[in-house]
Amino acid sequence: MYVLKDEQVTFILEDIRRNGIESEELQLSLLDHICCVIETEMLAESHFEEFYRSILPRFFKRELREIQEETTLLLTFKNYYAMKKVMLNSGVFSAITFIIGAFFKTMHWPGASVFLLVGIVSFCFLFLPLLSILRVKEQKETKNKVIIGIAAIFGIIISLATLFKIMHWPFANMMWLSSLGILFFVFLPVYFFTGIRNAETKINTIISSVLILTAGGLLFTLTNLRASRWTDESSYNSDDHLRDAAIFASEQSQFAYKTDTLTLDLKELKVKANSLCEKIDDIKARLIRHTSHGEEGLTEAQIIRVYGSSLNFAHDFLFDNNGKAKTDLITLKNELAEFNKFTNAKFSVNRKGLLDLQNVYKFGEKEQGKITWEENNFSHLSIAVTLRNLNQLILNICLIEMTCQ
Amino acid sequence: MYSSELIKGTLKTIILKLLSESDKMYGYEITQKVKELTGGKIQLTEGALYPTLHAMEAQGILTTDVVNVGNRIRKYYSITQTGKKVASDKVNEFSEFIDTMIFLLDLKPKMG
Repeated sequence: MYVLKDEQVTFILEDIRRNGIESEELQLSLLDHICCVIETEMLAESHFEEFYRSILPRFFKRELREIQEETTLLLTFKNYYAMKKVMLNSGVFSAITFIIGAFFKTMHWPGASVFLLVGIVSFCFLFLPLLSILRVKEQKETKNKVIIGIAAIFGIIISLATLFKIMHWPFANMMWLSSLGILFFVFLPVYFFTGIRNAETKINTIISSVLILTAGGLLFTLTNLRASRWTDESSYNSDDHLRDAAIFASEQSQFAYKTDTLTLDLKELKVKANSLCEKIDDIKARLIRHTSHGEEGLTEAQIIRVYGSSLNFAHDFLFDNNGKAKTDLITLKNELAEFNKFTNAKFSVNRKGLLDLQNVYKFGEKEQGKITWEENNFSHLSIAVTLRNLNQLILNICLIEMTCQ
Repeated sequence: MYSSELIKGTLKTIILKLLSESDKMYGYEITQKVKELTGGKIQLTEGALYPTLHAMEAQGILTTDVVNVGNRIRKYYSITQTGKKVASDKVNEFSEFIDTMIFLLDLKPKMG
């Protein structure tokens, strides 16, 4: 039996260390094992180092470091394989459900929301966290771990923001903007300045940063998407037509009153209808003044073409911070109800639906629950649509007048 | 010699069974013992052996004893009480697995 000298044992130990075995316990285990192999198998006349090199490949497939990696994996990460499996499966699952959901959404088929919800939720709460945990564990340097962590947070928030935007849930815009804030002001600087210092990663860092900046910029342009110019234009035009129709109807009904034999009821109708129309005109005038910030001399047609698509002005004017209608709308609704009651009592003509003040289903869908008349006609609508709905009211009042005469 | 894929799934069982039958063993001894018992048909690879031994030590299935052997240190492994339970579970499981495989692959057991 060959007996190893001290310097040979030291040589083997050094070589094991050089080959990437970091843990001392593993170094000593392997040292003893290799020494045993040499002592039992090496012939006295063999050359020590040559023999050592010839037996070393028994310990690995590609390099000795594999033993260290496998040990670390088994020690620190008992569930590594299970986690990896769940990560891959949830990734595939999320991608498939998300694509199906997006396709359904594009085709306006039912069930799109369910697919999108399930896909994005599993992506955010299974795939991304598992992916980042596994990646963080694989990284040795703290800065790389930090970069992965920030990237995961960005990914989760922007995915959730997208989901919230699609579902029209609150806080979507806030989440969307804060995720872009994280991308531009936290992730990108950290990623860029850590990568650029290393000569090996410099070029790749610059290219990736430009790509991230461009992609982030593209997402940012999507932040406040509005309806197309054509949609805006058509709603402006429809307000013009409706205003003309209301003026025409009003003139017609006023003309009908010009007779000597007006009954008392008709006289009362005239007073009530005129008072209502004046009220609505007053609301319109104040809304226009509020929108144009006091700028005088702008017609309704001009106002809607400048501020028409803005959603905030009309809503803030008619509703308080809690989303409840202000006095203007409440008084108007009460007077309209009274007008309905009066015309129903005095004139038995069929005017069903002309002034319907009932609560209605939101978007016409029962699942969405009912909303009030004022919410349905005035909440969160653009200036153009709000003015059009007010004009519609005037037109309907005049039509009721005409049916009564 | 059997393929490493076949051995991989039974590595833990083999180590635990050997250790439960002897007082203590060190790594090289385990590989030699297996080789000897199986007539060289099963040769444990060191790349799989040591990670498994270290993991089982961390899980409390094995305990270790360090002894100075001339100019180096030798680590002896012995099985704990928990380990003995795991060993018998693993052997039973494997035995059932063999029965299932014999049935599944329609193998005729070789008669003495």
